[in-house]
Amino acid sequence: MTNMENLNKYNEIFTEVFGVKPEALDANFSKENVESWDSVHQLNLVTLAEETFDVMLDPEDILAFTSYEAGKEILRRQDVEL
Amino acid sequence: MAKWRINNVRMAGVSACVPEKVVATEDIPLMTAEEAEVFNNTVGIRRRHIAPDSVCASDMCQKAAETLLEELGWERESIDVLIFESVTGDYRTPPTSCILQDRMGLPDTTFCLDMPMGCCGCLYAITVGSNLLTTGNVRRALLLIGDTALRMGSMKDKSRVPLFGDCGTAIALEYDPSAPEIVVDFHTLGKGYKALMTPHGGFRHPAGPESFVEEDFGNGIVRAPYHTLINGMDVFSFAISRPPKSVAQFMEAEEIDKDQDVDYFLIHQANKMIVDRVVKKLKLPLEKVPYNLEEYGNLGGASIPSLMVTRLRDELTSAPRHLLMSSFGLGLSWATMSATFGPMVIPPLQYI
Repeated sequence: MTNMENLNKYNEIFTEVFGVKPEALDANFSKENVESWDSVHQLNLVTLAEETFDVMLDPEDILAFTSYEAGKEILRRQDVEL
Repeated sequence: MAKWRINNVRMAGVSACVPEKVVATEDIPLMTAEEAEVFNNTVGIRRRHIAPDSVCASDMCQKAAETLLEELGWERESIDVLIFESVTGDYRTPPTSCILQDRMGLPDTTFCLDMPMGCCGCLYAITVGSNLLTTGNVRRALLLIGDTALRMGSMKDKSRVPLFGDCGTAIALEYDPSAPEIVVDFHTLGKGYKALMTPHGGFRHPAGPESFVEEDFGNGIVRAPYHTLINGMDVFSFAISRPPKSVAQFMEAEEIDKDQDVDYFLIHQANKMIVDRVVKKLKLPLEKVPYNLEEYGNLGGASIPSLMVTRLRDELTSAPRHLLMSSFGLGLSWATMSATFGPMVIPPLQYI
């Protein structure tokens, strides 16, 4: 997949889990700023990301998946081009 | 690297005993009807067997073991090793295995050992017991694995009360040079120990008046330091990441084809969300993954032997089956075991 295809899929994960439009996804989209971001949403994000990009994250990464940008960094470390 | 290849040991039988009392999620006072429905549909534990305060894990294990010995036709004098795996022993001291040696009328030549290893306990007990038998110096071992985990925590802790059921199991191992190889590997993530712990009551923090002072943590969690706690997010992130990764590596190293070589995958029945995710990550064929958590809840170390008794009795009593087992829990610890067990003796589920 190209970077753009991966980015679109990454965005789809967030729009599906949080029910928001892609325009809402930016550097401020995080656990601190999004009221509905609880542990269930975070685990759903991680699960979908693992399935979508066929990766297995470590516990530290799952716990650190607390923002739109942090998720990108975590997936890049798994060689997902974003 | 904690990986063993163990020869000369067969599993001769397994049995389980649960309390007669069944508690449905709807009957738990902490839960509203709506919460119970959501819990049943997501966590998947609809019922659990709960022991009265007068019944300990050792009582259920003893009943399971005595039924098994009778069906096996094993003389009590022939038991060389008794392992009691539990985090809910009868007393802080002495070891409950020694008490069971007397209660069960086992000979004074029996080697007795307690192991408090939590949800991985079954695989620890099989590994230690098998390694004791493998040389043939001793011939027969009984592994008693069980817990009354609910009573370790606060009855006002909604994050914990609905998860656990009570159960005692017994596994009979025997020296047998014709037995297929058992392969097992273990991992430990000690830095995560706070995810599942009982803060007070040990010697780091002996129980004092402050140990029983309850605190409201919100979200329906009220507990004191003397109560066992679960940090749900830490446990969940651990359980859905490390164990499946290890299972995948194990199968690759052992050249096990999950579709061709394995009859059943026995996954520790922590809760449906965790087991489903492990299954999905490993792309396991669903028909090969039995569940019993909906009926019994999380049984700790007894989870895997209880699956054998409640879901695979016909299969394991009739023919050899290749089992791939994965368990994870306290410590944090996790293990993967590959073994061909059966045909073996499995009495019907016992009640106490």
